[in-house]
Amino acid sequence: MTDTLSPRAPRTGRRGSRRWLPAIIAVGVLAAVVVLVLNLFTGALFFYNVDEAIEQRSDLGDDRFTLQGIPIECSITKGTIGDEVVTAFSVSFGGAIVDVVHRGDPAELFKGGVSVVLDGAWVEGDPGVAGFDGLANDGWYYSSDRMRVKHDEDYINEDEYDSRLAESRSQSQIASEVCGT
Amino acid sequence: MESDIVEHTGSRTTRLLGASVFVGLVALVLLGFFVAPPDDDQLDAVRMIFIHVPSAIFTYVAFVTTAIGSVMWLLRRSIWWDTVAGAAAEIGVLFCGLTLFTGSVWGRPTWNTYWDWGDVRLVTTLILFLMMIGYLSVRSLGGSVEATATRAAVVGVLGAALLPIINRSVEWWENNTLHQKSSLTDGKLEGMTLFTLFVGIVVWGLFFAWSLIHRFRISWLERELRTTDLDQALRDRRAEGHRV
Repeated sequence: MTDTLSPRAPRTGRRGSRRWLPAIIAVGVLAAVVVLVLNLFTGALFFYNVDEAIEQRSDLGDDRFTLQGIPIECSITKGTIGDEVVTAFSVSFGGAIVDVVHRGDPAELFKGGVSVVLDGAWVEGDPGVAGFDGLANDGWYYSSDRMRVKHDEDYINEDEYDSRLAESRSQSQIASEVCGT
Repeated sequence: MESDIVEHTGSRTTRLLGASVFVGLVALVLLGFFVAPPDDDQLDAVRMIFIHVPSAIFTYVAFVTTAIGSVMWLLRRSIWWDTVAGAAAEIGVLFCGLTLFTGSVWGRPTWNTYWDWGDVRLVTTLILFLMMIGYLSVRSLGGSVEATATRAAVVGVLGAALLPIINRSVEWWENNTLHQKSSLTDGKLEGMTLFTLFVGIVVWGLFFAWSLIHRFRISWLERELRTTDLDQALRDRRAEGHRV
């Protein structure tokens, strides 16, 4: 290990690629940060809550947008449109309800009461799914082809905490009203 | 000239910390897999919280440490603080990478996606990760020790400025994220789930302290070696001059 303390030979490769590697990484990182920030402010995931989507239905037209709402348990229906298997359900948020027809597999955690974020567009007309009577039933439905789940921050299991049940009841009040349960 | 040979960077404190981390990890695995209950909605996927949340917390701690060290360098030109800043940043990058990875793995069964490029919490965390890799790259750039430390300190402070934005993003841009709000500060955890998470935070804290001390000592020795190297080279050159 005496070599480490010996005078070093003058470096001949000062302009070699090794010297520039950190600079290249730093510039690459800066470029990546700029791209990510720009991507962020284009609002790729920006979603409309159910009440907002209804309010802006005429502006949205048939453009694709992202919708967030809470599925109403009693409305969830598996059905078909032609040969395609679909999941039809109604979602609520902010006191409003939208009927949804989702093509493709629903998310693993998809169930009533757990918020979903959907990609799709407004379609005027009847969903046309046998056995599904939309709870909104307003002549429009939301046709979706991508589903993500937006679970809340609550990790308190119902059997552990009685007041959680009361909170859950109040949250699903709208579902009880429309489902008559 | 004889120089002291340092064989390792351990001490009684670090050995105690290391042993505590090992015991804590065993306890965490047992609690996380066998004692903490599954969640009503997420079932067993919830167990990822015991790694993800502590990693996120100590990402914050590490980068705040880097910011403090950077400020101390800028104000006092303290080499000790600059070394702390660099050591903390390396560990912070590790924790931040772990936060992104565990979040992504957790996201697949719960959100139905590994990643979403428009999600404000995810993307700002990735930006932090990249910025701190940039910080480490800047530290490796050539130039004088003073210039390198100053450039890195500026990046370190800028990176830490992202932390409050990341932390509050789920509140400020509610319609732009799949990420939940804070369960810990909102009191949405209890029983064995909360206890296990607490154990996870303690274990990660011990690991942070253990790795910070070791990394600091290694960086300090590297700096000493560079100085010794230079001094020796100068002495040799002078000796050559005398011979001529």
